[in-house]
Amino acid sequence: MVRPSLAVRLGSLELAYPTLMGSGCYGSGAEYAPFADLSKVGAIVLKSVTRAPRLGNAMPRLVHTPAGMLNAIGLQNPGIDWYLERELHKYADRPCKIIGSVAGFSVDDYAFVCERLAARDEIAAVELNVSCPNVDREGATFGCDASLTASVVRAARATTTKPLIVKLSPNVTDITAVAREAEDAGADALGVINTVRGMAIDVERWKPRLANISGGLSGPAIRPIAVLAVYEVAQAVKIPIVGQGGIETVTDALEFFLAGAAAVSIGTANFTDPRIPQRIVEELETYLARRNVASLSEIVGKANVAFSTPHQYEGDEG
Amino acid sequence: MPEEMATTSHAGVYATRVIERRELAKDVVLLRLDAPGLAEATRPGQYVMAIPPSGEAAATALAIYEAEGKRISLLFFIMGRRTQELSALGSGDCLSMLGPLGNGFDCSGDPRDAAIVAGGVGIASVLLCAQALLRARARVRLFYGARTRELVVDAQRFRDAGCDVIVTTDDGTLGMQGMVTDALALAPEPDMIFACGPTPMLRSVARIAADRRVRAQLALEETFGCGVGACWGCVVALAGDSMQAPNFPGAARGGSDIAYARICREGPVFWAHELRW
Repeated sequence: MVRPSLAVRLGSLELAYPTLMGSGCYGSGAEYAPFADLSKVGAIVLKSVTRAPRLGNAMPRLVHTPAGMLNAIGLQNPGIDWYLERELHKYADRPCKIIGSVAGFSVDDYAFVCERLAARDEIAAVELNVSCPNVDREGATFGCDASLTASVVRAARATTTKPLIVKLSPNVTDITAVAREAEDAGADALGVINTVRGMAIDVERWKPRLANISGGLSGPAIRPIAVLAVYEVAQAVKIPIVGQGGIETVTDALEFFLAGAAAVSIGTANFTDPRIPQRIVEELETYLARRNVASLSEIVGKANVAFSTPHQYEGDEG
Repeated sequence: MPEEMATTSHAGVYATRVIERRELAKDVVLLRLDAPGLAEATRPGQYVMAIPPSGEAAATALAIYEAEGKRISLLFFIMGRRTQELSALGSGDCLSMLGPLGNGFDCSGDPRDAAIVAGGVGIASVLLCAQALLRARARVRLFYGARTRELVVDAQRFRDAGCDVIVTTDDGTLGMQGMVTDALALAPEPDMIFACGPTPMLRSVARIAADRRVRAQLALEETFGCGVGACWGCVVALAGDSMQAPNFPGAARGGSDIAYARICREGPVFWAHELRW
């Protein structure tokens, strides 16, 4: 039996392994280099960068919750100019692909930062973090509005031919509507999903536990939400999906592949054990070999029952 | 940002083995571990991120209490699910951890008369510091505060090492009744203060140090996400010109001379006079 292929393509981005390290969870890779083999990682998605420097939110920024954690870091970053001049060159020798991540507070911000970031050789692809408030529209979150998301993607698309991965927010009524608009606007791939909004309260002090009041919930707590989102988005679009949300084991990753993800992103699990990403690719290889599957791509979306049997929606909440 | 990996050159993932588990008090556990490589690399004030054997929770930051030969020990209070799980380990069990992490205490300034202030579980961070200072022939006074008599754990260990130990308890069941910082304020002035404990205690130590113009190093306690500098979930405000402040513009608060540093990476020990909390 030959070794199964784990290589994947996201648009023109070719990855040796189907694992991305989630933005904001892996630093630039240097932070994890003593604890993990970066050559066994598909790509590192860098922490989101904005047009201007940002100090980020006050403390507390993070709360551990059942089966996950809430965070509200507030996009602390040095701004694109400093980033390009003083930081990015240090990442050139990573033994895996580097994906930049762009956040913004106006459509123009995204285009401005995306153009500069994508122009650099160190950057193989760009993730658009659209879970930010739009200051031009009373703080409405870009990713929660299909047409706003499309505006961001179109503006970014016009600045580069490098692959664009749009990270979708689950905090919407119909994620497939946003997914279709992002695809039509020129996205090469979709990240499904970003964190789920949440809150925790300190009952001794009668106050929110995060300084920002609300935060993004990640970890295994959100995994079923993410799996369903991938399953539904996969049927709505033709571009590849990067499944993400609480992946800790090969079984978790397989759920996402079978739901329709071409690749997966691992975030919070690195905080539990940085050896998890390598363990997942090794066990994925074993899993495929045992079933005589030559390539990971063969199992993508195979749990989609609509392909073989008539699917009738009968409600699932009652 | 700090130079890449500057502070973590010996850091790695270590598979350790429990050789002894002792309960020093109710809900206070000491684990002695075989940890070759990790033990030799440990400096005072450093910590590990212990990976929960079940894999069902985030890794837990624990101070390295002792490091001798190829062995370390971890002293911790059972505070929640994660420490509960670690407390259930027994002799022979494996425990993987990342470490040694963080910039520890700077014991190199040749203090002649050092005061160490520990509150509650903060005692776990200061034994290695005391030992290093004693080796450098400093006089070391330990001001050790706890809620009650039973929670004053292992004070004899410090006495045996050569420290003068001054105990305070909130309820007066052992030593002086009151805050450990009250005892510090009443004592003759040291030439350097080292402290670890709850934030209100550390703020109080910082005030006393400022009043008496004594330099103080504070080991901060905070909830960590990653523990290795990746997530920026554990920051504290520093003076912008601090050597420990990340030197990039996003760390600086608009218009003022303040920078957010990561407690896990730039810390957890900071100079009291540079903190802007």
